Amino acid sequence: MTRSLALPATRRTALAMLAAATMALTACSAATSGGTDSSNGEVVVAGTYPIDSIDPDGPQGGGTGPQMAEQQIFSRLVRTKPDGSLEGDLATSWKPDSTATQWTLTLRQGVKFSDGKTLTSADVVDSFKRFIDLKGTNAANFPGYTMTATSDNEVVLKASKPDAAVPRKLAVFFVLPAGVAPNDTAFFEHPVGTGPFKLEKFSPNEIALVPNPNYYGGAPKVKRVTIRKMPELASRLTALRTGEVDVAWGIPDDQLSQVESDSNLTVKTIQSSAVFTMWFNSSTPALRNAQVRRALWEAVDFPTIIKQLYPQTGSLSDSVVSPQTLGYVAQQPVKYDPAAAKAALTAAGFDFNTKLRLQFANAEFRQFNQAVVSDLEKIGVHVDLLEKEQAVFTKDLLALNWDINFQQLSNPMLDAANTIGRLYPCAAKRNGYCNPQLDKLLSEAGASSDEQERVKLYGEATQIIWQDAVGMFPMAVKYAYAWNKRLAGFSPDPNGLPDFSHLQVRS
Amino acid sequence: MIRVVVKRLLIGVLVMWGAASLIFVIVRVAPGDPVSILLGPDAGQDQIDQLTASLGLDRPMFAQYLSYLGHAVRFDFGDSYLFGRPAMAEVLERLPATAELMLASTLIAVVVGLALGLLAGGRPGTAVDRVVSASTIALQSFPTFWVGIMLILIFALALRLLPSAGSGTPAHLVLPAVTLALPFTAIVARLTRTSVADTMREPYIQTARSKGLTERQVLLGHALRNSLIPVVTIVGLHMGGLMGGAVIVENVFAWPGLGSLVVDSVSNRDYQVVQAATFLIAGIVMLFNLVADLVYSQLDPRIRLEGTS
Repeated sequence: MTRSLALPATRRTALAMLAAATMALTACSAATSGGTDSSNGEVVVAGTYPIDSIDPDGPQGGGTGPQMAEQQIFSRLVRTKPDGSLEGDLATSWKPDSTATQWTLTLRQGVKFSDGKTLTSADVVDSFKRFIDLKGTNAANFPGYTMTATSDNEVVLKASKPDAAVPRKLAVFFVLPAGVAPNDTAFFEHPVGTGPFKLEKFSPNEIALVPNPNYYGGAPKVKRVTIRKMPELASRLTALRTGEVDVAWGIPDDQLSQVESDSNLTVKTIQSSAVFTMWFNSSTPALRNAQVRRALWEAVDFPTIIKQLYPQTGSLSDSVVSPQTLGYVAQQPVKYDPAAAKAALTAAGFDFNTKLRLQFANAEFRQFNQAVVSDLEKIGVHVDLLEKEQAVFTKDLLALNWDINFQQLSNPMLDAANTIGRLYPCAAKRNGYCNPQLDKLLSEAGASSDEQERVKLYGEATQIIWQDAVGMFPMAVKYAYAWNKRLAGFSPDPNGLPDFSHLQVRS
Repeated sequence: MIRVVVKRLLIGVLVMWGAASLIFVIVRVAPGDPVSILLGPDAGQDQIDQLTASLGLDRPMFAQYLSYLGHAVRFDFGDSYLFGRPAMAEVLERLPATAELMLASTLIAVVVGLALGLLAGGRPGTAVDRVVSASTIALQSFPTFWVGIMLILIFALALRLLPSAGSGTPAHLVLPAVTLALPFTAIVARLTRTSVADTMREPYIQTARSKGLTERQVLLGHALRNSLIPVVTIVGLHMGGLMGGAVIVENVFAWPGLGSLVVDSVSNRDYQVVQAATFLIAGIVMLFNLVADLVYSQLDPRIRLEGTS
């Protein structure tokens, strides 16, 4: 019997498959290492939030994801710096009249759009009209406001009532070329702007930006910035550690130590504009009494909860707004004292059989709210914890269909007018609380063009909100950013909206 | 055969009408609405009223339904509230990525599942059978989300062999397709194993053996074809399940498919996109079931589709 040297067909097939698999893995491996070619000046950013549109005036324009992309492509008149101060973008100066109802803004000269055309006041006025007409989320800050051009490089914004916060409010208004129609999808496929970048590619999961050579501040020095949608935290952090992405943020405490131990990464935690805010519904019979609300606040051991859950990204808040916000004035923290809380509730005639409803909307806050409920339960206060879907949460929030409402309130304008001035007047009807004295202070603060006076007035308003326990304001939030050490010029932003124009890739 | 296909397609029209009507009702009965999502918590009542009217949501429900059906027959589901573009265009743009993922995972599941099922079913009660059975139970038990993360940690982070997320190259497809395929592979393997084990006890298998055929010839030449019947059925029926798995996998691997679009649209109460996607998915599942039935009848000559004999 002779044995053939040729392999049986099945074995040949198996070997062929093995070889193919090996080649595929090799190809895959090559593909991985070539994922981020930083030597070519390319930067990949892990985007937490979807960017489904880059129309700043559209329904989604005010969202965190779209706004991050919009600010790279379009400029604003004024923008906030990470430290909370203002700087001119397309405007070089902004001055109010004596009543702060009319603001004159002088435009930067010689600014060109990415298609080479020169920016004029007509572009700014037309953009403002589009912004107001489309009634996007940020347009609500300018009810009845109008803008006119007084010359080629000057515009006047007229407010319907005295408004000292106009410059900071303008930080969410983006300038487009004149004549962009309401649903101009063709324009936003190939947008023209005065920002540092031009749009190269827009797909459902990825946005690619390339430098705008006409940018008035000088074209960015990177070759391309790609913002990749990565909603899962684990995916973002893995991609950061494998080098597939260069920048990620919103890193929670339980992951920070691992990221910090990676020698290829720079990690920085910065104070954000966000504050954990837990309003009491003052129109609920059980919560009408300020002493009851205050006692409930005293019953929760926030320092321990924060230390346990947010050791690096949280700190005990001492105000309604974050420290870098204009109008921030520190208050005396509420001391944890469950015995005193229970005594105060009993003295105030609180019915311990009442079941309060605490609503919140995002799973990432579940543990925090569970801890709050647990502490309240310890003194005999029963709370139903209601985790709601965002759409339901918003509807119930507006309908005051809750007793305690948890939100992480951010303030991209870094001005107390946007939170204290907007959410706490009686007319806002946001938490069932109404105090004419507070209304008067907020009205004066909103109308004064003297910054020091505004801070003083907002400080007095904050004291009322704090003392009357309109809500509990337990935690000032910090954002943890991590980026590859190959990058230079990256500066974290307190609103999660970093500017990529100064990025450079080290060789 | 053509008569049967035409009849099935006509029934399919009824199914599509049912699916379209059901989703119309479900999204509107669900608490929350697109207006509060679009305008956010800072909107005034006049803004809310204006947007409600401009979206046509102030009209009586039945009038909305008739208008929706009238447009749906022309595959016009209106503009997405969020994207401002035709909803069906938005859905179709995401479909290829999901189709690619589902096709790859189905291929993996069928090839690997069949191989494992044959291996175990051909030798019931042996150590191989026990190992395969235990492994498939484990594969079915692991949550897809966890499996995805584990594969990322092993193949992307530790071994640096494959990209952890994104799309664009064949390498990007490997981990999401394997993650999606694993529980399906287990189902195919278990089903094949049972089917093969049963078939191997049939008298005609004994006859084949007595003719001197090797065990491999018996298995591949005689048992496999009959064992394929339930597998084909499950592949057709499992398309809906795969779509559900794709939602999770697409999120974990940042895969730009239909699943993540549907989840985002449901959260944002983007009725138009949810309706368009449901309509399309229902149509695809229906077609797969039809194809499965046709293949089923071809595999087993004893089975004839109703109306063909």
